Amino acid sequence: MSRPISRPAIIGALLKKELTAYSRDFIYLGLTLVVLIMFPVLFHILPDSVDETITIAVSPPVEVLVADARDAFIAMGATEEQLAQLDELDLTEAEEGLLLVEFEDKEQMARVVEGTLEAWETEAGDLVLSDTEAGDEKPKDAERVNLDIGIAFPASFIADVAASKSGVSVTVYSDAHVPAEIQGAMRSFVRELAYQFAGRELPVDFPEEEAVVLGQDRLGDQVTLRERMRPMILFMILLMETFSMASLISTEVLQRTVTAVLVTPAKVGDFLAAKTIFGTFMSMSQALIMLALIGGLTAQNWSLVLVVLLMGAIMFTGVALFVGSAGKDFMGQLFYAMLFTVPLLIPTFSVLLPGSVASWVRVLPSYPIVDVLVGSMVYGATWAESWGSLAYAAVWLVVLYVAGLMALKRKVETL
Amino acid sequence: MREVTATNGAAIQVEGLRYAYGDLEAVRGIDFDVQPGEILGFLGPNGAGKSTTIKMLTGQLTPKAGVARVLGIDVSTDDPELQARIGVCFEEKNLYLNMSGKENLEFFASLFGIKDPDAEGVLRRVGLADRAKDRVKTYSKGMRQRMMISRAFINKPDVLFLDEPTDGLDPVTSAAIRKTIREEADRGAAVLLTTHDMFEADELSDRVAFINEGEIVALDTAENLKLKYGTRSVKVRLREGDSVRVETLPLDGDGSSAKLAELAASPDLLTIHTEEATLEQIFIQLTGRGLEG
Repeated sequence: MSRPISRPAIIGALLKKELTAYSRDFIYLGLTLVVLIMFPVLFHILPDSVDETITIAVSPPVEVLVADARDAFIAMGATEEQLAQLDELDLTEAEEGLLLVEFEDKEQMARVVEGTLEAWETEAGDLVLSDTEAGDEKPKDAERVNLDIGIAFPASFIADVAASKSGVSVTVYSDAHVPAEIQGAMRSFVRELAYQFAGRELPVDFPEEEAVVLGQDRLGDQVTLRERMRPMILFMILLMETFSMASLISTEVLQRTVTAVLVTPAKVGDFLAAKTIFGTFMSMSQALIMLALIGGLTAQNWSLVLVVLLMGAIMFTGVALFVGSAGKDFMGQLFYAMLFTVPLLIPTFSVLLPGSVASWVRVLPSYPIVDVLVGSMVYGATWAESWGSLAYAAVWLVVLYVAGLMALKRKVETL
Repeated sequence: MREVTATNGAAIQVEGLRYAYGDLEAVRGIDFDVQPGEILGFLGPNGAGKSTTIKMLTGQLTPKAGVARVLGIDVSTDDPELQARIGVCFEEKNLYLNMSGKENLEFFASLFGIKDPDAEGVLRRVGLADRAKDRVKTYSKGMRQRMMISRAFINKPDVLFLDEPTDGLDPVTSAAIRKTIREEADRGAAVLLTTHDMFEADELSDRVAFINEGEIVALDTAENLKLKYGTRSVKVRLREGDSVRVETLPLDGDGSSAKLAELAASPDLLTIHTEEATLEQIFIQLTGRGLEG
């Protein structure tokens, strides 16, 4: 026999049903599993360090250039001190963070830059070339050396430049995808070397330079792509859950099962409460699983990260309530889902492509969520530094959640 | 059964009930009541106001005017006690398709606060016990309709609202559903049944209300409606050469008895059948339109 039933008991019964419906739908379930597997795999594939060294290929080896120049320098009457300086020549002195890979044959170097020949560095530091297209095997215990720029000097380069000969030709090879500004920098590098070997100063007076790094100077401690992806993945989890939740709501509205629920002791408020709790729970639980898989919580940021994730989960549940109530059929629901989620996705690009963010992007509801996630997880932002964004996120949270709630309430009451 | 607190002992009591969708007045001041154990058939064509009336009585719509009490509770007060004691079968088969029949019933039972519901027993009543664990999406149309009926029964309601419960079903399934509805009424439940099937209304209802364009145009037992609005007659078929002549004699007319006796004595008499008006004929007579409109 029936007995008076409390509101929490009704909401509990609705939540149990939501879980059953979710677990029975292979699309949502599959999507959830794919996301929970795919994102961590992608995360761990991404590089976890930033190589601040520029590696370039040169041909012939520096010792060949020096040996050739030595005879010319002696003929020109160079002193012992000058010859000693020549013997200690280090091309990388010209640029900080420069690493040279030397090739005997400039044709081989050109093929490596082109990518038709692979260069490998063995544990002993030897350079091994292999033509895998021709059937060569990859050398054992060797690491691939990526070379996008190669400079082919004439063997008499140093001597010719020092003797102020005209018509000295240096070829700079670059892979097609190397940006033009890097190619230009390499040409400047060659000119600077030439002046250095000629024993001349550059014919300009350089201004005093003072590099002022605003914010945290991350020289030698650059943000890796993996670190950058962490908050983005968490945000994507929240956003993707919006699709699933909106679909569940839409199905309930379109099949009018909600009408059957509302002629029992369950009220519209119970229905909305159950949807909110379930949507938030699903988003948060998946975000927490993801955090466990990819890490990111520290003793300093855990409370801030969890609070902003919770705010995001409720905000996107509000979006799901709105989208779920708006569509008249599956295609309509998909249309509204795209209409809302694509703009919300835009601020995540500021994570991948850091730089100045357009002012209209800062207005988007998801921006403060992304901003606090990135700030706390990547740059160690504190509560004090995040209050502004949190308050802004809270305003959007209330607006979107109330809008979603009202839209769904109106929909179920007029079915 | 629990005590019914309506003033006249009625499980459903409606006075001057009105509802409008914008400018369209769907229900125009109707009055009726349904006693416990009684089946009231709401007979009318599509769009007559039957479903709107049920929506108001089950709390889905708030009446624009008038008073409606179900089990003594004003339906516009949103009292959860009302929903706890009613069962509703919608015209639309709004079941959770990814859940089994048993799970559907157990879920709805949990909303009524029923612990350990006899879901399989209820499904057995409608002939679905052997499919209890199958997902509803695998059910046929008839099975889904029986499932809808069983869901309305799960809380042993004091009042049942059944909106077109046999619409589009085969005669065998329809008969089975009618049997279970009668059982519920015999248990003491008041049943408000909407239909545009005059046969169903005639067979199942203790009283019938004709509703047309939002108004009740007649309300009485089917028998009384036929007596009041119908014409009793006898149809006589006689051989006439190579053809058959048919004569219809009103039983209540002057001189009809003598004429009937004359025809009955004729050597050309083939058959004599009594004829009474159908509910549909009476509906057409009263409203000028058919039930399928």
